[in-house]
Amino acid sequence: MTDYALTLSDVAVRGLRGVSLALLPGEIAGVVGPAGAGKTTLLQVAAGCVHPTRGEAWVWGCRITDANARKFIGYAADHAAFPRALRVREVLLYYARLHAAADPERAPQGLVREALEMAGLGAAANLLVGALGHADMQRLALAQAVLGGRGGRRVLVLDEFFTNLDAIARRDLRGRIARLAAEGVAVLIAARDPAALERLAARALVLRQGRVVRAGPLPALLGERVLEVILDAPPPEPPPGFKITDAGIEAPLAGRTAESALAMCRAHRLAVRGSRVRVKSLEEIVLETHDTH
Amino acid sequence: MQFLQCVLAEWALVAPRFTRTRLGISLLALGATLVWLGSRGLDHVTVALLAGSLGAILGAAGVAGSDNERRALATALSHPTTPLAIATGRWVALTGPAALLVIVCTATVDWRPSIVAAGIVAAAAVGSCALSLVIPLGNATALGLFLLMALAGAVAPERLVALAHPGFVRLAAASALELGPALWHYRDVATGHWGAIAHALAWTGLGILLASAFIGRRRALNG
Repeated sequence: MTDYALTLSDVAVRGLRGVSLALLPGEIAGVVGPAGAGKTTLLQVAAGCVHPTRGEAWVWGCRITDANARKFIGYAADHAAFPRALRVREVLLYYARLHAAADPERAPQGLVREALEMAGLGAAANLLVGALGHADMQRLALAQAVLGGRGGRRVLVLDEFFTNLDAIARRDLRGRIARLAAEGVAVLIAARDPAALERLAARALVLRQGRVVRAGPLPALLGERVLEVILDAPPPEPPPGFKITDAGIEAPLAGRTAESALAMCRAHRLAVRGSRVRVKSLEEIVLETHDTH
Repeated sequence: MQFLQCVLAEWALVAPRFTRTRLGISLLALGATLVWLGSRGLDHVTVALLAGSLGAILGAAGVAGSDNERRALATALSHPTTPLAIATGRWVALTGPAALLVIVCTATVDWRPSIVAAGIVAAAAVGSCALSLVIPLGNATALGLFLLMALAGAVAPERLVALAHPGFVRLAAASALELGPALWHYRDVATGHWGAIAHALAWTGLGILLASAFIGRRRALNG
């Protein structure tokens, strides 16, 4: 049990129906799915905010409901709130004092310095929380989640972390999370927009109606190749296995070659203007699971 | 020890909140008004009781009543602390400035340790009650409690009950006034009445426990 940083065993609660998950130290797992799929509930269970009615959750061999578990798990909720009249450093110092109370060997000021550095928030340390932009608010959410220092927080649970961020902030935070993972921190991260996780997560879980409907390493999930065929005019009926798109038709190759698929198009007397083979996106996988279930 | 350190972590935020929010200016305005009323003939015990209770209600609104502060409780709970430590810390954080206000007002109008004690006891009990109301219901209840204490808190219950209709309403009003925190109860603290002190202590403990229960429920609201 202690080999895993985070273990959820058949956990169920309102909106979540028997989900199991084991996260290794340093692993980044992404949770994707449409709104109402149970992503936030799953993360709340993983963070110890919601107690499951069935199943068990463990962090580093410690039951997630134990007070000690909160020393290991950092949680950044979707739209996490902080007192607006305080400066960033004061907010972090408040949380750091709670950690120092649990572990007297840690000095609060040192914990704040580390958290500011890990979240890239040093320049904003003396700003009021109410004056922060969205990207810096997310950095503050990350800073409080990693607070506890190196060797402290060993599991990070981040909900809708990249939502509404610009590309530069997204890249910066992705890099910081990847560096934390390289230091052995396990990360469970949820996103409504699956594209946000494609360059970060090593593994993905697709949730739908409180169940994991698809899971696996991201390269394996994204490894499915798709043939896109651009046509002069949309066909009245697509060939078997193909579906109509805005520009023509497309189909997963699923073992066959692109040439054989194109031959099928020609056999159906379709005017092919061009074609390309691309890798499936995580968004397509989410949409597929949504359509097929 | 860990519990006390978590309580002190809340206390450490008093100064920034006092100087950067409306809490500081509200307490100063309240203090100035009460000192002025005291110089115009308002009973000095009532000045101390109003300073303590109204200061504590303003404090509860300032440290825990706003939507943002209430949502931020959920974030605090994801760290190694407990709802009881947060509730106790917030109570200390709101009672401290109210007690200081009592001391300043009493020193200005009529310094007597027994009056100061009555004011601080009122701050502790009413503050605890206010905290248990603003955490689940927000600042609108702080305004209601403020008006109740300011207008009716110092009036003897017999006079208020006489205004209510006979029967159940009168019984309910009398019970609420007898059981709830009211300034006429804590006036007796100045004369060393143990019943009044026990009433205040009971409300202090009950309010903190209720606030703690409501804070614990906010854990699941995170996100």
